[in-house]
Amino acid sequence: MPEEVEVTIVTVRDIFQDEAAKKSRFSQEYEKLSALIVLDKQDMARLAVKDGQKLLVKNDAGSVIVAVKTSADEAHPGLAFMNNSPWSNQLVADSVGESSIPGFKSIKAKLARTEETANVTPITELFSRMKG
Amino acid sequence: MATCTGCSLLCEDIEATVKDGGLSHVKNLCRKGHGHFQAVFTERTVPSVDGQKVDLEKAILAAAEILKNAKNPLLYGWSNSTLEAQAAGIRLAEKIGATIDDTSSFCQGLLMERIIAGTIPTCTLDDVRNFADTSIFWGSDPSNSHPRHLSRFSYYPRGDKRQRSYEEERTCIAVDVRKSATAQLCSNYYFLVQPGGDAEFMEAIISVLDGKIPKVADKKKMIELGTLLKKTEYGVIFPGLGMVYSMQDRMDLFERLMARLNEITTFRAIPMVGHYNMRGFNELLKEKTGFINRVSFKGGAAAHGSESSVLSAAKSCDAALVIGSDPLSSLPFGTARLLSKKPMIAIDPRRSLTTDAAKVVIPSALSGMEAGGTAVRMDGVKIRFEPIIESKMPTDEEILTRIMEAI
Repeated sequence: MPEEVEVTIVTVRDIFQDEAAKKSRFSQEYEKLSALIVLDKQDMARLAVKDGQKLLVKNDAGSVIVAVKTSADEAHPGLAFMNNSPWSNQLVADSVGESSIPGFKSIKAKLARTEETANVTPITELFSRMKG
Repeated sequence: MATCTGCSLLCEDIEATVKDGGLSHVKNLCRKGHGHFQAVFTERTVPSVDGQKVDLEKAILAAAEILKNAKNPLLYGWSNSTLEAQAAGIRLAEKIGATIDDTSSFCQGLLMERIIAGTIPTCTLDDVRNFADTSIFWGSDPSNSHPRHLSRFSYYPRGDKRQRSYEEERTCIAVDVRKSATAQLCSNYYFLVQPGGDAEFMEAIISVLDGKIPKVADKKKMIELGTLLKKTEYGVIFPGLGMVYSMQDRMDLFERLMARLNEITTFRAIPMVGHYNMRGFNELLKEKTGFINRVSFKGGAAAHGSESSVLSAAKSCDAALVIGSDPLSSLPFGTARLLSKKPMIAIDPRRSLTTDAAKVVIPSALSGMEAGGTAVRMDGVKIRFEPIIESKMPTDEEILTRIMEAI
């Protein structure tokens, strides 16, 4: 079993998460739909994780702990999806090219299993990191 | 009828029932719109300075003081404000020599610039409903982002020339990196592209339109697509962020594709703008300065450049006024972190990471529900709306005017 799996994360929109964001960015519902990564079943197998387990997602920009879910799409190993949110933005590099647009939809990151008792990174922690 | 400002479709058919001065029932909202209307009841902000609740006047004076003392202020947000508030914001930027930018700077700006300049042909959503027989959702997923797009305009409605609609007359095509909810609807016309592969896909379409063999794995399917596009009477492409982020500096290729399609038939493009009045800000700033975003009034005249983009200005500014936006949630963490440490003024009806970090918070009325005004729909149609319920909260425009008077 590999300790880490490398993926490219593409951020997407989700109507349920959008609705939750409009109600409150500080709600459990918003956290549940944002602190989430969707993986291909091959990547799930490589990491030996099941739906709902937590993963550490990290790169040079930052790191977050999020829950994992198996993709219902056709096979896409190496490609992961996250709903656009402050959690995915922890992983977006600051540097930009000529167009000054960050790589929101092409985030290279490494995934690793966490302790079974680990919780997803709460929004309060994301805020503390910012102000810290 | 009320107007929903939950996204840039600005749905004008919302039936709202008001009882005892408050909202009691609302009909015709999508799920996203429902969340937006719930905002009346949740996470409302109060006037504050340094985390302490103050009266509104004190918060406005504190905001004016910050901006008066700033040498390099940034005014950011604007896509969730009315045209009237945006005009007041541009006047404020001119007055204090500020940098002004909106969410289009890292969203649909690259495309919107070309739409407004007329180098990419566009049309209205009403034209789509009445005439379009082919809709292409390219890097966009309206089922999730603009839930009533398909039912009001692009697929299901029986328009003037499309009475047989989706059953016989309309075809929808999805080009995406995943089989999104919208792509599932498109069935046989779902084209999978690899992340960053949109330019290659565009080149393949141009090849088949030119009668050449496309350089893609599934040549047969691409030739079928070319045939469908050639047979189209009125086609519309709806580019989402998936396409814009993938193309970035190669947007000229999209212009070339549109030009080639229009040599054969009629094809238009409407960017899938997210926030309800992003296009309004872009048109207004263009009219005033010649640029749709990323403008600095430092030194008097309007100057445009990447150094005036929110990504750069968040780092270089010495104070920021943020209106109707939550950059601490939507910017890359490193940039958000730097911005959070600057003296920030947040004008927002609702709590966010940005209001939590702001030195001064000024609550405002929710546009469309508590405040009226004018906005520009994603297709350039101007929509005027009235408030549904009375509110003691000032509008964005009133707040900006009072700040300007206090400087």
